[in-house]
Amino acid sequence: MRAAAFAAVVVAALVATASAFGACAQPKVSLAKLEGEVMCPICHTTLDQSNSLAAQQIEQFISVRIARCESEAQIKSDLVENYGTVILAAPPRRGFDLLAWWLPLGGISAAALLVGFGAWRWRRARAAEVEPEEELDPETERRLDDLLAHYE
Amino acid sequence: MRTAKLTGQVVALAAVAGLLGLLVWRLTHESHPPKVGGPAPAFSALNLRGEGKLALSSLRGKAVVVNFFQSYCVPCKTEASALQQAYTQYRKDGVVFVGVDYWDSIAEGRKFVDRHGVTYPVVRDPGGTVADRYGVTGTPETFFIDRRGRLVGAHILGPINQGSNKSLFRESLAVAAKRS
Repeated sequence: MRAAAFAAVVVAALVATASAFGACAQPKVSLAKLEGEVMCPICHTTLDQSNSLAAQQIEQFISVRIARCESEAQIKSDLVENYGTVILAAPPRRGFDLLAWWLPLGGISAAALLVGFGAWRWRRARAAEVEPEEELDPETERRLDDLLAHYE
Repeated sequence: MRTAKLTGQVVALAAVAGLLGLLVWRLTHESHPPKVGGPAPAFSALNLRGEGKLALSSLRGKAVVVNFFQSYCVPCKTEASALQQAYTQYRKDGVVFVGVDYWDSIAEGRKFVDRHGVTYPVVRDPGGTVADRYGVTGTPETFFIDRRGRLVGAHILGPINQGSNKSLFRESLAVAAKRS
């Protein structure tokens, strides 16, 4: 009886400990993913490229939140609150930083327009170069037909 | 045809002008260490330990030692107790120490100041804006501001209690604390 009670207490303690310190059963994001999207501010590389103490501290920061089942957005928001926007590898989509997102798209669109316009002009110029076949006047055509009729 | 050519030239010129503008913006916004003898860059930052902000302007009339650090920086740990000791020694002379914890986790920053018994005001600079204004390139770095709000003495790179930094720290502190 005593042994059973003792075992029950041990099991209860283990369960309580596991639930207090246990990892999230279904993490919403992986450390590996965030390591490629979060910067080590002093090394100027993403976390996966650095072994510095700063990078280790930030990885620890992220791991704790992953274990708490926090979402990627929540973790990133916490990171920005602590380390500022420099912590994110991709610039935020607002204010001046928005330019970093739109400039490449604008550049690609402008380049596509330029190429399209160039191709259109080139085709027009080529079409102008090729002279249309001149049609024979009816008299010449009749004489040509007569001549050809001799050889048939 | 001439209109299309002219349009193309205008677009190309606008693109070049835009890129030049970006280059100029980048160069003018690059952080440069402030000049010694000039005004210390102003800042107002959140206190690390709790609510509220600390503005440098509120310390006018006092000599100020500004120390940039991070909890994960090993040399910062090396100098932490020496800084605290210097603060205890000089505070009666009207010298204020301000720690600036930048690019750091709030929790780790708090642990750092608790572990090293830091009692002077410490602010946090998550985006590194204040560090940028002072042209900080690494940690720890220490600056001295005199009672009139000018940067004086040396700009100390590395722990204040190692090598030639020891005498630089004492001399710079004496210059900052001097009553004119």
